[in-house]
Amino acid sequence: MRPILTAALVAAALPAGAAELRFASTTDPNTLDPNAGNSAPVFSLLGNVYEGLVRRGRDMSIEPALATSWEPIGDGEGWRFNLREGVTFHGGQSFDADDVIFSYERASSEQSDTSSWFAPVSEVIKVDDYTVDIMTSAPNPIFPDSIANWMMMDAGWAAENGAERPNIEQGNYATTNTNGTGPYMITERQPGLRTVLEAYDGWWGEDRGNVERAIFQPVQNSATAVAALLSGELDLIEPVPVQDANRVESAEGVDVLRGIEARVIMLGFPHDAEGLIAGGEGNPFTDPRVRQAVAQAINVPAILQTVMRGSAEPVAQLMGAGMRGYTQGLERPAYDQEAARALLAEAGYPDGFRFSLKCPNDRYLNDEAVCTAINAMLAQVGLEPVLETMPVANYWPTLRADDHDMYLLGWSPGTFDAEHPIRFLLATPDEEARLGSWNFGGYSNPRIDELLPMIQSEIDDTARQAMLDEVAQIQLDDVAYVPLYVQPLIWGVKEGIEVVQRPDNFLVLRWIEMG
Amino acid sequence: MLAYIIRRVFQSIVVLLVVGLVAFAMFRFVGDPIEQLLGQERTVQDVERLREALGLNDPFPVQYFDFLVRAVQGDFGISYRQSRPVAEIILERAPATLELALVSGLLALVVGIALGVFTAIRRDGWAANAIMSASLIGVSLPTFLIGILLIYVFGVQLRWLPTFGRGDVVDLGWWTTGFLTPSGLKSLILPSITLGLFQMTLIMRLVRSEMLEVLRQDYIRFARARGLSAKSVNFRHALKNTMVPVITVTGLQLGAIIAFAIITETVFQWPGVGLLFINAVQFVDIPVMAAYLMLISVMFVLINLIVDILYVWVDPRLRIDGRH
Repeated sequence: MRPILTAALVAAALPAGAAELRFASTTDPNTLDPNAGNSAPVFSLLGNVYEGLVRRGRDMSIEPALATSWEPIGDGEGWRFNLREGVTFHGGQSFDADDVIFSYERASSEQSDTSSWFAPVSEVIKVDDYTVDIMTSAPNPIFPDSIANWMMMDAGWAAENGAERPNIEQGNYATTNTNGTGPYMITERQPGLRTVLEAYDGWWGEDRGNVERAIFQPVQNSATAVAALLSGELDLIEPVPVQDANRVESAEGVDVLRGIEARVIMLGFPHDAEGLIAGGEGNPFTDPRVRQAVAQAINVPAILQTVMRGSAEPVAQLMGAGMRGYTQGLERPAYDQEAARALLAEAGYPDGFRFSLKCPNDRYLNDEAVCTAINAMLAQVGLEPVLETMPVANYWPTLRADDHDMYLLGWSPGTFDAEHPIRFLLATPDEEARLGSWNFGGYSNPRIDELLPMIQSEIDDTARQAMLDEVAQIQLDDVAYVPLYVQPLIWGVKEGIEVVQRPDNFLVLRWIEMG
Repeated sequence: MLAYIIRRVFQSIVVLLVVGLVAFAMFRFVGDPIEQLLGQERTVQDVERLREALGLNDPFPVQYFDFLVRAVQGDFGISYRQSRPVAEIILERAPATLELALVSGLLALVVGIALGVFTAIRRDGWAANAIMSASLIGVSLPTFLIGILLIYVFGVQLRWLPTFGRGDVVDLGWWTTGFLTPSGLKSLILPSITLGLFQMTLIMRLVRSEMLEVLRQDYIRFARARGLSAKSVNFRHALKNTMVPVITVTGLQLGAIIAFAIITETVFQWPGVGLLFINAVQFVDIPVMAAYLMLISVMFVLINLIVDILYVWVDPRLRIDGRH
């Protein structure tokens, strides 16, 4: 008989000043293998355990991690990374260039879910034990920005445990075990139930709070999580449902933290469809005036006020402020029902037309309610949307099968750079070139397709920004999408806990200070 | 008798096969697991490779056949979500559900019978009437709401009991139990009331009506006329005769308690197989869904089979019919 120690007993045994954090989120990371799952829950947890060559700071800027510095090679042939010396993995192995080479091979392998990050890379060369050259096939100014989630693994540890490659479908040792260089080690893992992290004393860094031990438990039902926060059984939960935020705020002993997520919620159109699935002949959405009418018919501030209870920000481009390459000074088309009706009449649809509006109901914050509001607003200018909502497990297959007219989409740029949404959402879909893979409406604009490779390889920041501004302006004028708002982040914490909310919704344990 | 049993077993197997077939035909409507498994930066090549590796390109009867061949060897495949063998995951989660079902079942039985007898004997008393009215709440309120209400009253307001989870458990190697720690026992209270409330009111009402029926019988009157004490009449003579239908119903309800623990487990984040199943549906974790549905149907089929066999054993007329 082996009793599992109670949390309270262990907390009592912690050294003075050290604290224990009990936190919950709706989703358990489906793996601990940093190359077997490319999703926020996985990287959020593993970001405390593994480290990359670079990492993101409190303001989301790239800062040194396992590389102390980096510089471009020659005329944009690649990047040279100078590695930090004296770093050890949790298992005691030392970190050097061989581990970088191994981590590259692993993360870019066919079995990996992160291989697309390395599409621009042609070769990785070990210069000496603490210098690595990453060569790119074309100049790539944002390469360091794109690898903040590329985590370094120990070559020897992986080989010993038969985890040289990730295994998404069968799992392997790295699915439930970790060996990183980060400030926390995972000491207990019960998938779907409980994950315990403990501070790693051998960490090289300085910047850390007083959380000595953290216990993560997924709590699926938000009402249960809110109750557990109020009763003091949890110290931090995310998310707090929008409709509960005010109630939690007014409760004693707990606080609500509000922030802005990097995710932009937008509406998409069926640009390349012959006809509408819920309508008659032809596709009115090919006319930019119709798309403009949709943009002007939607009262975004009203949606934010009622459905999101005021905790979100309207947006005029495919990403939020604060990202790299954000275009200053763009205005959303004003809400104007008269103008929308006039545009529809001008385009030849004075009486509107029927079309389907598809939405997920468990993917984004209050997504179904947002769509219901949009549905009503479009009806007010004479359009006849047919709203259909479904769970996300069905939603993506439906969009991929082109079984949609208008649809709701949220996008969070993994690189925190304006190039990301252009590559995935605006570029003409091309499987071979791995472009436009989430451009379900098949939007195609030759000028954007021409600009994208130039943006990707432009080293000069001013010239690059000019091109990004041009794309943002084209998207706004041509209404390829109707960007609506940036999704809010609402976390609930016990009073006296200092937490940094990152726009990618990652929880960084070393930035937490518990009172 | 033997021929009857063999025939019933054969029928049960057919039922199981049909359940499995229907389940597999439905899985593709739940969604595409690939969408959940790979991130937004995946490539078309990744999708194709994984689809092939998981056998998702095969038509569903083929997938079903593969599942059956492996399942009879005790291999339920590997969970998409956890990348671990499904059998291992289910064995890990089963103790939580079974302990919860056991406590709920006992609670329902003991309290249900006690209240049933009480309301039958004092059938016009105010207490009995109050209990009968209150029991309507148990029948009509949805489990979800009862759970949330209990959490808010006893967890958030009074802070007597934990709001979620199973507390500390003791690992016996092949079984984890919450019965041996104070926090484990405290954690059981709210979920078992939530789960058992419906069954409790059902048993109570059943006992009451059976009891009222029996109390009108001649042998009860004669027993009273013989001068036996009220306690002896009520419990030795009357209650005993009401137990036959109660036992039948309880047996069948035990299956229902395990199967419908899903909602209670979700509300209380109870780490049992019901919660596992809900997660599997959201993630389109086909191997876990398939194994869970098959296990639940095996359970129901077994319970029914045992009940059928017991009937034959009890009632000789069925045995004669069986020969035709």
